[in-house]
Amino acid sequence: MNLMKYYYKRIAASLLLTVSLVGQVKLAVNTIPTRVDVHLDGINLGSSPIKNERVTPGVHKFEIKKKGYAPLTYDLLVNPAQAVQLDFFLNPVYKVRFKTEEKGLVFELNGEHRWDVQLVRLELEAGNHFLRVFKIGEIIDEQTIRVDEPKKFNYYLKKPLSEE
Amino acid sequence: MSMNQRILVHLILTFEIILGFNPEPTYLVLNHFDRDLPAAEQALIDNFGNSTFEFDPSIHHMFEDIDNHENPAASHMVTIKELGEKYQVNYILFNRIEHIDDRFVLNGLLFNTRSGGLIHRRKIDLKQYLNGQINELNMWVGNTVGKVEKNWEKNRKSILFSDPEEINYEKTPRGAAIRSLAAPGWGQAYSGKKVSAGLWASTESSLSLAAIISFLNYDKAAKSFLKNSKLYDETNDEKEISDYRTAAENDWNDHKKYSQLAIIFTAATGTGWIANSIHAWIVGPKPYTNIYQQWNTK
Repeated sequence: MNLMKYYYKRIAASLLLTVSLVGQVKLAVNTIPTRVDVHLDGINLGSSPIKNERVTPGVHKFEIKKKGYAPLTYDLLVNPAQAVQLDFFLNPVYKVRFKTEEKGLVFELNGEHRWDVQLVRLELEAGNHFLRVFKIGEIIDEQTIRVDEPKKFNYYLKKPLSEE
Repeated sequence: MSMNQRILVHLILTFEIILGFNPEPTYLVLNHFDRDLPAAEQALIDNFGNSTFEFDPSIHHMFEDIDNHENPAASHMVTIKELGEKYQVNYILFNRIEHIDDRFVLNGLLFNTRSGGLIHRRKIDLKQYLNGQINELNMWVGNTVGKVEKNWEKNRKSILFSDPEEINYEKTPRGAAIRSLAAPGWGQAYSGKKVSAGLWASTESSLSLAAIISFLNYDKAAKSFLKNSKLYDETNDEKEISDYRTAAENDWNDHKKYSQLAIIFTAATGTGWIANSIHAWIVGPKPYTNIYQQWNTK
């Protein structure tokens, strides 16, 4: 009799598991670089690569975080399907120093950050950034600078003759 | 073969027949590229030898509205099944590549012709890189068949920025500091700072030389003092006593003076040596970019 009860419990548990898994979508998350914390709707799924996770159809929010990289937030509408595989590429953040010997200049980066000191330390996402330079309230320069490694930028109004 | 084994083999064969098991999957490939990619078809044939590909670029428009359907996975089931029967293939692979400025978007859809459903989908938006479109096509198809080669992943990584912790520089401030610790000025010279290299090398050489000379003079004065003291003790001649006494006193003063100078110059040499190493680290080779006002040149 006890043996029957045991089997009934096993069958019931299996059915419950099957029912709970029906309608769920298999989820795999790969990232470059690997070993990145993956959060799904605020719950930490662990470090990437993530395999054989389950997600219900609907809208979900992914948050990908790793020290030294720009955090990534991604909203995804999961359709009823067999599996969803997501690949994320994280962009590193580099420590950059921006220096000028020129006086009276105001710098603006990406239309957001402004400074008027001669040396500033910044943490910038790798890639292109838009630099605008002001002098006495007027724009005197606009150009795109490329941040591809931790480095120092020296800004000059004139190019030395030796470098012409 | 036992009865059980016979039943098992029979069951496996039956399932293979029912499921239409095919060791060599066949694909109808519908490529829709906004630019010519002549190598794309051959790349699939060459890289996935276990699969058979048939190409028909004329069919593509029907899959462009897939996201407008309530259930994209089941949006074209009848058409997919019909195409499967017409071309006698297991799968239909739709690849669309569009170029936007310096980026390209690959939209891949893989349908199963038996069910008519969408079984894999990939949308990737990447910066262009060398043979990037073909590489991404290989990775997308490879991912669906479970065969992704390492060199494809390596090629893709070529467009990504380096991990700040993995960036290796040929010359580093630490390298400069170590060199200057071994020989003053070497680190500065290694960083291309020839003037400061010369200044540090000459300053440290002068200080070291002064310390050595002071020590030698101290040693000479100390020995002379011992000698004159001994002669002073051994003589009874009044003039000699006076002379030896004066000489011994001068030696004593010299020995004290050179001892202090040796200590000062040695301390200065040591401090300078460390300062030179720190200076080499500060002015050490670091990546930089000079930006010049562009509006003047326009």
